Amino acid sequence: MSGERILVNGNHAAAYGVRLARPMVVPVYPITPQTPIVEKISEFQAEGQMEVELVTAESEHSAMSACITASLTGVRVFTATASQGLMLMHEMLHYASGARAPIVMVNVNRTIGSPWGFWPDQTDSLAQRDTGWIQYYCESGQESLDTILQAFRVAEKVLLPAMVVHEAFYVSHSLEVVEVPAQELADQFLPPFTPPHRLDPEIKESWGNTVNQDMFYRHRKTLGEAMDNALAAAKEADADYRALVGRGYGIIEEYRCDNPEIIIATMGSMTGTAREAVDELRAEGLAVGLLKVKLFRPFPLKDVRRALTGVPKVVVLDRNFAPGTGGFLHQEMKAALYGMSDGPEVHGYLAGVGGTNIPPAKIKDMVREALAEKAAAEPVWKG
Amino acid sequence: MQVLQFIVQGRGGQGAQKAGEILANIFFSEGKYVQAYATYGGARRGTPVSSFIRVDDKPIRLRCNIENPDVILVFDPSLLNETLLKGAGEKTLVVINSTQAPEEFAALGKFKIFTIDGMAIAQANRLGRIVNSALVGAVTGLLGQPDIDLVAKVVGETSPVKVEENINSCLDGYRMAREGRVLNA
Repeated sequence: MSGERILVNGNHAAAYGVRLARPMVVPVYPITPQTPIVEKISEFQAEGQMEVELVTAESEHSAMSACITASLTGVRVFTATASQGLMLMHEMLHYASGARAPIVMVNVNRTIGSPWGFWPDQTDSLAQRDTGWIQYYCESGQESLDTILQAFRVAEKVLLPAMVVHEAFYVSHSLEVVEVPAQELADQFLPPFTPPHRLDPEIKESWGNTVNQDMFYRHRKTLGEAMDNALAAAKEADADYRALVGRGYGIIEEYRCDNPEIIIATMGSMTGTAREAVDELRAEGLAVGLLKVKLFRPFPLKDVRRALTGVPKVVVLDRNFAPGTGGFLHQEMKAALYGMSDGPEVHGYLAGVGGTNIPPAKIKDMVREALAEKAAAEPVWKG
Repeated sequence: MQVLQFIVQGRGGQGAQKAGEILANIFFSEGKYVQAYATYGGARRGTPVSSFIRVDDKPIRLRCNIENPDVILVFDPSLLNETLLKGAGEKTLVVINSTQAPEEFAALGKFKIFTIDGMAIAQANRLGRIVNSALVGAVTGLLGQPDIDLVAKVVGETSPVKVEENINSCLDGYRMAREGRVLNA
């Protein structure tokens, strides 16, 4: 059963993924560059293509609060935000994972003020890495569409919220050719959400009561176990999706990683450009591969260690920046690879921070430089 | 086919973004993979607006700016500056919406230059100042692809109003491009 092929931007592609997932409640607050997602959902609703309760909240904080309460009544919930909006949600992001509410949210990566901008930079979502949300980073509208369905399946299995992330401009506002799977396939992949525990006057359960230290300890430990279980759940969801729809991504992807001298590691839209750089460098006789980290939370530690065992060097490209430490993926990679006897030397390059343009030629230069030089402990600014 | 890359440059309100979308839809209708995006965020009426399009036979993986365009379509000669032309080479086709002859722009560089009076075509077709259908017709005429029937069909489908007028404007642009003269060709 082949799907419909359409020309849409990355945000509208995401909205098609949401339509296929059939959420019952979508609380929203508009923010550039996310707004086309909820606008499209609103159009779907107006045209009778989606049966959904759209809740227009007075802020992102309220939108996320509405997501949590709606989710706890046992229905599927979606929302979308970006940048400043995600910042305002921060308190409720922790609450959502603590309440074990399997909300799926798209975040469109955008620079955080001040100064003001609209540019692709992953710092907004990466700064939420410790909130207990599953996080997926996508490189195209097609991948976001497919990943939204997978995210619902994983979130509802382990009872944790999940964020599907793509970048402003290069993905959110780029028209591209996208295949929309048939609704029957989506329904087969993602059955209705029917949790045994929910806020329901018939069942008489409640959420969020005051607890003592031991109960809080157990709660955090259980939450951690749920996050660990998300790894296997994500692999299984991706494999099932591939079998059903014909497209899969893995929680990491190794592109042309056969016997490499060096591997580029990155996330999101830069992955696409890096594929071109890898192909060109391979054609020039350099043994270069690409490691795409798609699932960032939970961090696929074992998979990353396996992929980089025996590899001499890895050059991490971060389109994000944490002042005082550097690129988020660089930090995570150093931590993940620590203690390996046959692990790679890790180079951390800040590339594309603030949305600057990173063409293949620039990536090729960075690869050659990392090959020629000894890795610095600190991140290196690369424009 | 090698990847085909376009930059469409106009001013906010002139229809450059719309022209980019029409071109993207034309090549999509031909079965190609397409990627198209436009200046975003700070664009205002009257300020320069750019639209970028990539066309290929295989999925497009690049997520970066177009630095070496095959075609630059300019809605207004006042937008022709070094920044816009820095990636242009001898093979780049620069199409300028202007009443002047291509020789008037020869000093810009050794590009393939074509001029078309989009405003005259638009007015002859009762479209007022809406020049994008004429310019899209001219660009596809110069490229010799895709088939003009497909181009006209997509222009019609993407016109919110005055469908016949836009199709005729597109056909006029196409014809003038086929019959016209390209400097440095």
